[in-house]
Amino acid sequence: MAKLNKDSLKTLSYITYFIILFVFWFILSGYLKSLLLFFGLVSVLFVFWMSYRAKALEEDSLPLKIILRLPFYWIWLFKEIFKSGITTTALIWNGKYSPQLISVKASQKNRTGIANYANAITLTPGTVTIEVDKKTFLVHALSKKLSEDLQTDDMNKVITDLDK
Amino acid sequence: MSYNYIELISLVLLAIGCFFILSGSLGLIKLPDVFSRIHAAGLIDTLGSGFIVLALIVYSGFSLLSLKLLLIPLFLIFTSPVTGHAIALFAHESGYKPKGKNKK
Repeated sequence: MAKLNKDSLKTLSYITYFIILFVFWFILSGYLKSLLLFFGLVSVLFVFWMSYRAKALEEDSLPLKIILRLPFYWIWLFKEIFKSGITTTALIWNGKYSPQLISVKASQKNRTGIANYANAITLTPGTVTIEVDKKTFLVHALSKKLSEDLQTDDMNKVITDLDK
Repeated sequence: MSYNYIELISLVLLAIGCFFILSGSLGLIKLPDVFSRIHAAGLIDTLGSGFIVLALIVYSGFSLLSLKLLLIPLFLIFTSPVTGHAIALFAHESGYKPKGKNKK
């Protein structure tokens, strides 16, 4: 992608948001009649206008750069969830859990990245983000192995790279 | 013949999902404190519901309906960590200390 100035980037993110909303409307309704499509367009425009008024379309909340990498990230995330889910299930059944608190450093630059990382930690079973202090998280882990997995910093790196 | 095949796959996926939900419910009862129980609830939210939705997608065939079904885990991905974090934060702020099973 060529270098874009700020205004055209903004327009591009508006267009992307509009397309996402319309695709969402279409998936939920499934109508193809032109009248109903027109009504869908009207409701999408209404939601668009409301989000514009609520200032939900700033660059920070709709990061265009990561949208293309998002599906790959979700596949990776699902793999992580599955792995730690199996560990957690085994811990529940054999009872060898030893809960502990650890602190984890985040190296993401913007707020979206940090929220993303905290969400990813909570989403993987066996680790929960309790408190977010600017760049360090207080994390509750169910066992020593799960906390060590987190401290290898793999997840942090993947989510930081997402926003490069 | 292929119909049975699809039914079998969705049956296996349903069984896996049910197993994760069972383990999560067991963990909700068995684990010692609030923070550990959130882990069990997270297991139900992610893997339990994920596998069951996957089984339903395989069962219903690939159509607009399966796209709708895919939206369920997509929303769960965003909402379930928020609720888990909210519970954990509130428990932390009101002074609960996480306890270990083998405390020194």
